Amino acid sequence: MKKLTWRQSLVAVAFLLSLSLGIFFVIRAVRPAIYWHYHQDEPIRGWMTMGYVAHSYHVPPYVLHQALGLPEKPHDKRPLREIAKAQNRSIDEIRTALLEAIVQARRPYPASPSPPTNPEASP
Amino acid sequence: MSITDQLLEAVLLYGLPVLFGVILIASVGVPFPISMTLVAAGSFAKQGEMKLVPVIIAASIAAILGDQIGYGLSRWGGRRLIDRITRRLGGAAKIKRAEAVSKKWGGPGIFFSRWLVTALGPWLNFTSGMARYPWRRFIVWDAPGQVLWVVLYVTLGYIFSDRVQYIAEILGNLAWAILALTAAIILGFRLVRYFRPARFARSL
Repeated sequence: MKKLTWRQSLVAVAFLLSLSLGIFFVIRAVRPAIYWHYHQDEPIRGWMTMGYVAHSYHVPPYVLHQALGLPEKPHDKRPLREIAKAQNRSIDEIRTALLEAIVQARRPYPASPSPPTNPEASP
Repeated sequence: MSITDQLLEAVLLYGLPVLFGVILIASVGVPFPISMTLVAAGSFAKQGEMKLVPVIIAASIAAILGDQIGYGLSRWGGRRLIDRITRRLGGAAKIKRAEAVSKKWGGPGIFFSRWLVTALGPWLNFTSGMARYPWRRFIVWDAPGQVLWVVLYVTLGYIFSDRVQYIAEILGNLAWAILALTAAIILGFRLVRYFRPARFARSL
Protein backbone atom coordinates (compact mmCIF):
# COMPACT_ATOMS: atom_id res chain seq x y z
CA MET A 1 0.00 0.00 0.00
CA LYS A 2 1.27 3.41 -0.98
CA LYS A 3 1.69 6.20 1.48
CA LEU A 4 -0.70 9.05 0.88
CA THR A 5 0.51 12.57 0.28
CA TRP A 6 -1.12 15.31 2.35
CA ARG A 7 -3.27 16.23 -0.60
CA GLN A 8 -4.50 12.68 -1.00
CA SER A 9 -5.31 12.40 2.67
CA LEU A 10 -7.23 15.65 2.35
CA VAL A 11 -9.31 14.04 -0.40
CA ALA A 12 -9.84 11.00 1.82
CA VAL A 13 -11.02 13.17 4.71
CA ALA A 14 -13.32 15.14 2.40
CA PHE A 15 -14.70 11.87 1.06
CA LEU A 16 -15.51 10.55 4.53
CA LEU A 17 -16.97 13.90 5.54
CA SER A 18 -19.27 14.16 2.53
CA LEU A 19 -20.29 10.53 2.87
CA SER A 20 -21.27 10.96 6.50
CA LEU A 21 -23.06 14.23 5.70
CA GLY A 22 -24.97 12.41 2.96
CA ILE A 23 -25.98 9.63 5.35
CA PHE A 24 -26.94 12.20 7.98
CA PHE A 25 -29.29 13.97 5.58
CA VAL A 26 -30.77 10.72 4.30
CA ILE A 27 -31.65 9.85 7.90
CA ARG A 28 -33.09 13.31 8.43
CA ALA A 29 -35.20 12.91 5.30
CA VAL A 30 -36.45 9.48 6.29
CA ARG A 31 -37.33 10.49 9.85
CA PRO A 32 -40.30 12.75 9.02
CA ALA A 33 -41.53 10.11 6.58
CA ILE A 34 -41.59 7.55 9.40
CA TYR A 35 -43.10 10.02 11.84
CA TRP A 36 -45.76 10.87 9.32
CA HIS A 37 -46.54 7.18 8.85
CA TYR A 38 -47.34 6.75 12.53
CA HIS A 39 -48.72 10.18 13.36
CA GLN A 40 -51.11 11.30 10.68
CA ASP A 41 -51.40 14.90 11.81
CA GLU A 42 -49.01 17.75 11.30
CA PRO A 43 -48.55 20.32 14.04
CA ILE A 44 -50.81 23.38 13.92
CA ARG A 45 -48.80 26.50 13.10
CA GLY A 46 -49.53 30.20 13.14
CA TRP A 47 -49.48 30.61 9.36
CA MET A 48 -52.27 28.08 8.84
CA THR A 49 -55.79 29.21 8.06
CA MET A 50 -58.88 27.58 9.49
CA GLY A 51 -59.42 26.06 6.06
CA TYR A 52 -55.94 24.59 6.05
CA VAL A 53 -56.29 23.04 9.50
CA ALA A 54 -59.66 21.55 8.57
CA HIS A 55 -58.14 20.19 5.36
CA SER A 56 -55.06 18.81 7.07
CA TYR A 57 -56.98 17.17 9.92
CA HIS A 58 -59.83 16.00 7.70
CA VAL A 59 -62.59 17.57 9.75
CA PRO A 60 -65.43 19.77 8.46
CA PRO A 61 -64.48 23.47 8.82
CA TYR A 62 -67.58 24.39 10.83
CA VAL A 63 -66.28 22.28 13.71
CA LEU A 64 -63.24 24.53 14.00
CA HIS A 65 -65.20 27.74 13.52
CA GLN A 66 -67.53 26.70 16.31
CA ALA A 67 -64.59 25.90 18.55
CA LEU A 68 -63.32 29.46 18.24
CA GLY A 69 -66.80 30.99 18.24
CA LEU A 70 -66.41 32.36 14.73
CA PRO A 71 -69.10 32.66 12.05
CA GLU A 72 -68.31 30.30 9.18
CA LYS A 73 -66.81 32.07 6.19
CA PRO A 74 -65.86 29.87 3.24
CA HIS A 75 -62.61 31.63 2.30
CA ASP A 76 -61.35 33.19 5.47
CA LYS A 77 -57.70 33.77 4.55
CA ARG A 78 -56.63 35.04 7.93
CA PRO A 79 -53.83 32.97 9.44
CA LEU A 80 -54.43 31.60 12.95
CA ARG A 81 -51.96 34.13 14.32
CA GLU A 82 -54.26 36.98 13.18
CA ILE A 83 -57.32 35.25 14.58
CA ALA A 84 -55.51 34.79 17.88
CA LYS A 85 -54.61 38.48 17.93
CA ALA A 86 -58.20 39.50 17.12
CA GLN A 87 -59.51 37.29 19.93
CA ASN A 88 -56.83 38.44 22.33
CA ARG A 89 -55.63 34.90 22.87
CA SER A 90 -52.27 33.23 22.49
CA ILE A 91 -51.63 30.90 19.57
CA ASP A 92 -51.24 28.07 22.09
CA GLU A 93 -54.76 28.64 23.39
CA ILE A 94 -56.09 28.64 19.85
CA ARG A 95 -54.20 25.43 19.09
CA THR A 96 -55.55 23.73 22.20
CA ALA A 97 -59.12 24.77 21.42
CA LEU A 98 -58.83 23.50 17.87
CA LEU A 99 -57.25 20.19 18.86
CA GLU A 100 -59.98 19.62 21.41
CA ALA A 101 -62.66 20.22 18.78
CA ILE A 102 -60.83 17.96 16.32
CA VAL A 103 -60.63 15.10 18.82
CA GLN A 104 -64.35 15.45 19.51
CA ALA A 105 -65.21 15.59 15.84
CA ARG A 106 -63.38 12.44 14.83
CA ARG A 107 -65.86 9.64 14.83
CA PRO A 108 -64.46 6.59 16.55
CA TYR A 109 -64.27 8.69 19.64
CA PRO A 110 -65.04 6.45 22.62
CA ALA A 111 -67.73 7.73 24.92
CA SER A 112 -65.90 8.95 27.98
CA PRO A 113 -66.96 7.31 31.22
CA SER A 114 -68.88 9.53 33.56
CA PRO A 115 -66.62 11.03 36.21
CA PRO A 116 -66.57 9.36 39.58
CA THR A 117 -68.99 11.03 41.93
CA ASN A 118 -67.21 12.61 44.80
CA PRO A 119 -69.65 14.53 46.98
CA GLU A 120 -66.91 16.34 48.87
CA ALA A 121 -65.30 17.86 45.76
CA SER A 122 -68.47 19.15 44.16
CA PRO A 123 -69.58 22.61 45.22
CA MET B 1 -42.17 33.78 14.49
CA SER B 2 -40.18 32.21 11.71
CA ILE B 3 -39.60 33.58 8.24
CA THR B 4 -41.41 30.53 6.82
CA ASP B 5 -44.55 31.47 8.72
CA GLN B 6 -44.37 35.04 7.50
CA LEU B 7 -43.83 34.00 3.89
CA LEU B 8 -46.70 31.54 3.93
CA GLU B 9 -49.03 34.07 5.55
CA ALA B 10 -48.14 36.63 2.90
CA VAL B 11 -48.67 34.14 0.08
CA LEU B 12 -52.05 33.16 1.50
CA LEU B 13 -53.17 36.75 1.98
CA TYR B 14 -51.85 38.35 -1.20
CA GLY B 15 -51.50 35.41 -3.57
CA LEU B 16 -49.58 35.35 -6.83
CA PRO B 17 -47.72 38.70 -6.69
CA VAL B 18 -46.10 37.72 -3.39
CA LEU B 19 -45.30 34.23 -4.66
CA PHE B 20 -43.73 35.76 -7.77
CA GLY B 21 -41.66 38.26 -5.80
CA VAL B 22 -40.44 35.76 -3.23
CA ILE B 23 -39.31 33.24 -5.84
CA LEU B 24 -37.66 35.96 -7.93
CA ILE B 25 -35.64 37.24 -4.97
CA ALA B 26 -34.76 33.72 -3.82
CA SER B 27 -33.56 32.77 -7.31
CA VAL B 28 -31.16 35.70 -7.31
CA GLY B 29 -29.65 34.28 -4.13
CA VAL B 30 -31.50 35.38 -0.98
CA PRO B 31 -31.94 32.20 1.08
CA PHE B 32 -35.71 32.19 1.57
CA PRO B 33 -37.40 28.88 2.52
CA ILE B 34 -38.64 28.66 -0.99
CA SER B 35 -39.24 24.90 -1.27
CA MET B 36 -41.74 25.06 1.58
CA THR B 37 -43.47 28.03 -0.07
CA LEU B 38 -43.83 26.15 -3.37
CA VAL B 39 -45.11 22.98 -1.71
CA ALA B 40 -47.56 25.07 0.31
CA ALA B 41 -48.70 26.85 -2.87
CA GLY B 42 -49.54 23.44 -4.31
CA SER B 43 -51.57 22.66 -1.22
CA PHE B 44 -53.36 26.02 -1.38
CA ALA B 45 -54.22 25.23 -5.00
CA LYS B 46 -55.73 21.93 -3.94
CA GLN B 47 -57.84 23.69 -1.33
CA GLY B 48 -59.08 26.25 -3.84
CA GLU B 49 -57.25 29.19 -2.26
CA MET B 50 -55.04 29.59 -5.33
CA LYS B 51 -55.26 28.35 -8.92
CA LEU B 52 -52.87 25.62 -9.98
CA VAL B 53 -51.91 26.73 -13.52
CA PRO B 54 -51.31 30.41 -12.66
CA VAL B 55 -49.20 29.31 -9.69
CA ILE B 56 -47.02 27.14 -11.91
CA ILE B 57 -46.69 29.81 -14.61
CA ALA B 58 -45.94 32.66 -12.20
CA ALA B 59 -43.45 30.63 -10.17
CA SER B 60 -41.64 29.39 -13.29
CA ILE B 61 -41.33 32.85 -14.82
CA ALA B 62 -40.15 34.29 -11.49
CA ALA B 63 -37.51 31.59 -11.07
CA ILE B 64 -36.17 31.92 -14.62
CA LEU B 65 -36.14 35.71 -14.38
CA GLY B 66 -34.31 35.59 -11.04
CA ASP B 67 -31.65 33.33 -12.54
CA GLN B 68 -31.10 35.76 -15.42
CA ILE B 69 -30.64 38.60 -12.93
CA GLY B 70 -28.06 36.57 -10.97
CA TYR B 71 -26.30 35.60 -14.19
CA GLY B 72 -26.37 39.14 -15.54
CA LEU B 73 -25.10 40.73 -12.33
CA SER B 74 -22.11 38.43 -12.17
CA ARG B 75 -21.40 38.56 -15.88
CA TRP B 76 -21.30 42.33 -16.16
CA GLY B 77 -20.53 43.34 -12.59
CA GLY B 78 -18.52 40.46 -11.20
CA ARG B 79 -16.55 40.00 -14.37
CA ARG B 80 -15.19 43.50 -14.21
CA LEU B 81 -14.09 42.81 -10.65
CA ILE B 82 -12.29 39.63 -11.68
CA ASP B 83 -10.55 41.35 -14.58
CA ARG B 84 -9.30 44.04 -12.25
CA ILE B 85 -7.99 41.45 -9.77
CA THR B 86 -6.22 39.34 -12.39
CA ARG B 87 -4.63 42.40 -13.93
CA ARG B 88 -3.08 43.25 -10.56
CA LEU B 89 -2.38 39.82 -9.11
CA GLY B 90 -2.19 37.57 -12.16
CA GLY B 91 -3.92 34.20 -12.39
CA ALA B 92 -5.59 34.93 -15.70
CA ALA B 93 -4.64 31.45 -16.96
CA LYS B 94 -6.48 29.83 -14.07
CA ILE B 95 -9.58 31.86 -14.80
CA LYS B 96 -9.34 30.81 -18.44
CA ARG B 97 -9.21 27.18 -17.36
CA ALA B 98 -12.22 27.65 -15.07
CA GLU B 99 -14.09 29.17 -18.01
CA ALA B 100 -13.25 26.18 -20.18
CA VAL B 101 -14.48 23.76 -17.52
CA SER B 102 -17.66 25.75 -17.09
CA LYS B 103 -18.31 25.75 -20.84
CA LYS B 104 -17.78 22.03 -21.06
CA TRP B 105 -19.68 20.85 -17.97
CA GLY B 106 -21.80 23.87 -17.12
CA GLY B 107 -24.96 22.78 -18.93
CA PRO B 108 -25.91 19.67 -16.95
CA GLY B 109 -24.72 21.44 -13.80
CA ILE B 110 -27.14 24.28 -14.46
CA PHE B 111 -29.97 21.86 -15.24
CA PHE B 112 -29.58 19.66 -12.16
CA SER B 113 -29.00 22.58 -9.79
CA ARG B 114 -32.43 23.93 -10.84
CA TRP B 115 -34.49 21.09 -9.44
CA LEU B 116 -32.38 18.37 -7.83
CA VAL B 117 -29.70 20.20 -5.85
CA THR B 118 -31.51 23.51 -5.55
CA ALA B 119 -29.20 24.91 -2.89
CA LEU B 120 -26.52 25.30 -5.56
CA GLY B 121 -28.76 27.16 -8.00
CA PRO B 122 -27.81 30.77 -7.23
CA TRP B 123 -24.12 29.83 -7.00
CA LEU B 124 -24.16 28.34 -10.47
CA ASN B 125 -25.86 31.47 -11.80
CA PHE B 126 -22.94 33.48 -10.48
CA THR B 127 -20.21 31.13 -11.66
CA SER B 128 -21.84 30.81 -15.09
CA GLY B 129 -21.98 34.58 -15.43
CA MET B 130 -18.41 35.01 -14.21
CA ALA B 131 -17.13 32.33 -16.56
CA ARG B 132 -18.99 33.97 -19.46
CA TYR B 133 -21.03 30.84 -20.07
CA PRO B 134 -22.97 31.68 -23.27
CA TRP B 135 -26.26 33.27 -22.25
CA ARG B 136 -28.38 31.44 -24.80
CA ARG B 137 -27.06 28.08 -23.71
CA PHE B 138 -27.55 29.13 -20.08
CA ILE B 139 -31.23 29.82 -20.64
CA VAL B 140 -31.69 26.59 -22.63
CA TRP B 141 -30.47 24.56 -19.61
CA ASP B 142 -32.01 26.88 -17.05
CA ALA B 143 -35.62 27.20 -18.20
CA PRO B 144 -36.54 23.47 -18.45
CA GLY B 145 -34.85 22.80 -15.11
CA GLN B 146 -36.78 25.57 -13.37
CA VAL B 147 -40.11 24.52 -14.86
CA LEU B 148 -39.40 20.95 -13.76
CA TRP B 149 -38.61 22.20 -10.24
CA VAL B 150 -41.79 24.23 -9.98
CA VAL B 151 -44.01 21.50 -11.41
CA LEU B 152 -42.40 18.85 -9.17
CA TYR B 153 -42.71 20.78 -5.91
CA VAL B 154 -46.15 22.25 -6.59
CA THR B 155 -47.49 18.86 -7.66
CA LEU B 156 -46.13 17.19 -4.53
CA GLY B 157 -47.81 19.90 -2.48
CA TYR B 158 -51.02 19.36 -4.41
CA ILE B 159 -50.97 15.59 -3.88
CA PHE B 160 -49.91 15.67 -0.23
CA SER B 161 -51.88 18.83 0.45
CA ASP B 162 -52.64 17.94 4.07
CA ARG B 163 -49.00 17.59 5.17
CA VAL B 164 -46.90 20.25 3.49
CA GLN B 165 -44.56 20.58 6.46
CA TYR B 166 -43.43 16.98 6.23
CA ILE B 167 -43.07 17.05 2.45
CA ALA B 168 -40.97 20.21 2.57
CA GLU B 169 -38.79 18.77 5.31
CA ILE B 170 -38.24 15.55 3.40
CA LEU B 171 -37.45 17.39 0.14
CA GLY B 172 -35.06 19.81 1.83
CA ASN B 173 -33.08 17.04 3.46
CA LEU B 174 -33.06 14.91 0.31
CA ALA B 175 -31.59 17.82 -1.66
CA TRP B 176 -28.69 18.11 0.79
CA ALA B 177 -28.27 14.34 0.88
CA ILE B 178 -27.97 14.25 -2.92
CA LEU B 179 -25.45 17.08 -2.87
CA ALA B 180 -23.29 15.41 -0.22
CA LEU B 181 -23.48 11.98 -1.81
CA THR B 182 -22.60 13.42 -5.24
CA ALA B 183 -19.52 15.00 -3.68
CA ALA B 184 -18.72 11.67 -1.99
CA ILE B 185 -18.94 9.83 -5.33
CA ILE B 186 -16.64 12.32 -7.09
CA LEU B 187 -14.12 12.23 -4.22
CA GLY B 188 -14.43 8.46 -4.08
CA PHE B 189 -13.40 8.20 -7.74
CA ARG B 190 -10.39 10.37 -7.06
CA LEU B 191 -9.40 8.14 -4.17
CA VAL B 192 -9.70 5.03 -6.33
CA ARG B 193 -7.47 6.69 -8.89
CA TYR B 194 -4.82 7.34 -6.24
CA PHE B 195 -4.74 3.71 -5.22
CA ARG B 196 -4.97 2.14 -8.66
CA PRO B 197 -3.43 4.53 -11.12
CA ALA B 198 -2.46 1.94 -13.76
CA ARG B 199 -5.79 0.17 -13.87
CA PHE B 200 -7.70 3.41 -13.91
CA ALA B 201 -5.61 4.70 -16.81
CA ARG B 202 -6.26 1.52 -18.80
CA SER B 203 -9.98 1.81 -18.30
CA LEU B 204 -10.00 5.32 -19.76
